[in-house]
Amino acid sequence: MTIDSASPKLTYANIDQTVLDTLRPATRPYWITVALLFLGVLLGAACWLYQIFIGIGVGGQNNPVAWGTYLINFVFWVGIAHSGTLISAILHLFRAGWRNPIARAAETMTVFAVCTAGLFPFIHLGRVWVVYYMLPFPNQRGLWPNFLSPLMFDVIAISTYLIVSSLFWYTGMLPDLATVRDRAGGFRKKIFTILSLGWTGEHEHWRHFSRTYLFFAALATPLVISVHSVVSWDFALGIVPGWHTTIFAPYFVAGAIHSGLAMVLTLMIPLRKIFHYEKIITLSVLENVAKTIVFTGLIVGFAYGTEYFMAWYSHNIVELETFRWRALGDYRIPFWIMVTCNTVIPLLFFFQKIRTTVFWLFGISIVVNIGMWFERFVIIIGSVAHDFIPHAWGLYRPTAVEFGIMLGSFCLFFFLFVLFVKHLPSVSMTEIKETVSAGENHAG
Amino acid sequence: MPAEHHVMGLFTEESRAAAAAAKLRESPWPLLKVHSPVPGHNLAQALDSPKSRVGYFTLCGGIIGFISGFALAIFTATRWSLIVSGKPVTALIPFFIVGFECTILFAVIGNVIGMLTLTGLPRYDNLRYYDPRCSGSHFGILASCRADGLDGLTDFFKEQGAEVKVFD
Repeated sequence: MTIDSASPKLTYANIDQTVLDTLRPATRPYWITVALLFLGVLLGAACWLYQIFIGIGVGGQNNPVAWGTYLINFVFWVGIAHSGTLISAILHLFRAGWRNPIARAAETMTVFAVCTAGLFPFIHLGRVWVVYYMLPFPNQRGLWPNFLSPLMFDVIAISTYLIVSSLFWYTGMLPDLATVRDRAGGFRKKIFTILSLGWTGEHEHWRHFSRTYLFFAALATPLVISVHSVVSWDFALGIVPGWHTTIFAPYFVAGAIHSGLAMVLTLMIPLRKIFHYEKIITLSVLENVAKTIVFTGLIVGFAYGTEYFMAWYSHNIVELETFRWRALGDYRIPFWIMVTCNTVIPLLFFFQKIRTTVFWLFGISIVVNIGMWFERFVIIIGSVAHDFIPHAWGLYRPTAVEFGIMLGSFCLFFFLFVLFVKHLPSVSMTEIKETVSAGENHAG
Repeated sequence: MPAEHHVMGLFTEESRAAAAAAKLRESPWPLLKVHSPVPGHNLAQALDSPKSRVGYFTLCGGIIGFISGFALAIFTATRWSLIVSGKPVTALIPFFIVGFECTILFAVIGNVIGMLTLTGLPRYDNLRYYDPRCSGSHFGILASCRADGLDGLTDFFKEQGAEVKVFD
């Protein structure tokens, strides 16, 4: 599907107009939203500061559950980050035209989600001021990180992902920054002149840019798969029942894309409504995201089933008990929320009526986001709370401080995204123009 | 009166711009630049431009990254030759992950350096002979001529269906 088939009246001129209209001075409700989100960020920061001064014990992590909501949120946000690259890189390589209207916002979501995720290892560390111990540099302690640890794989993988996704995002935005520069005035023009690096859309610029963008996509594709595989190995390399399985890498990658696509819908639907993007982000685009969610939901459901099959087939009593307890034990409610929200409810998208109704698309995307958060809860908490030795079993409950930090992380993500949509082009004008058929008069 | 004029023909259709660019290449007027709001296939054909060499920068970055990643992991592991989980001190399989991530990282950095080097960006003195509409909906072809050839070049662009803009 291309944009012009859905919206035959789109021209270069009205694409620019629609996107540039979003950058007009913001209204009062916008700044109230920004202020409320910033208050949420401050609340999270205050909780973190409290934890730094009092100690990591103010969180609920303790024996036997040493990894609580901080690690849940870390994995959750890294997962959210993944579909941005799926949409911008993998679907670009597949020449899927429907990804063009949502690629920019999805890439932005990736960058902000990785930033948010990256905070959680710092928070979980407790003594955050020694975070630099993880970096390999000559020091008077004579100590070096050991790259045999999956946690050190993570440092390299997440840092690489942040740098690559930021460069991909910024490079892809250069032509659009020039478009804003050419229509801005005063101080704003100066800012966009610097940001656009002097882009003029010369043929030479496009010749090298197109090639660069293709290589970016080709490099980001294996990267995105490797990063969440590395995150899964944080668990799979530990000899813990429920974690130590070979399916963890593909299971985590599919889950990451599942949650990320749901977040794309959660962000795109209000964006489309508020900024009148209906002609650009058509219902067909949202429908295609919904179809992909059905696909990833089926993979995730298959992975849930495979875990049970492997536990049964292994005849390992510890594995069997872990998986029995997941479904029927103390954390059975999170487990059944996970199963229902991630695998059962997305199947409603099989019905065309549901996947073409904005209300259902938005509602189910929220449900999948909730389900994916609980998936991380079930995996991370469930296995260590109930592993090998019955006398070492124990339960975990997040504290108010953890809830505050979690709320702060969500507010930070949406705060950054809300600032972005009003100050930078949230839809790639260039990529939409590329989908409009050539040969027409584009100035209309 | 300047000895040389810069004239831009502004088109609203890529196909017309491409045809004009092809004809201009056969004319005595030098074609200086072609600006477009999107990468145009017709324009690329008309200008007969070779494939970008940015891939060589990407490849070099990738090779440097692969070697650096492995070297970093081996160097740090051999500072204290501890046996961890029964693995050898220089364990190639775990270190491949570090090598792989660094390959991607350095290849991407090489890719960006390649693009900036080949395009000559950042550059802030190139907006003099430029029309802001070229980032929106117009395709601009910039050519130059001597003072006595201005009418000829202007007429050429008009014949091709362009709006003409004379700089200087």
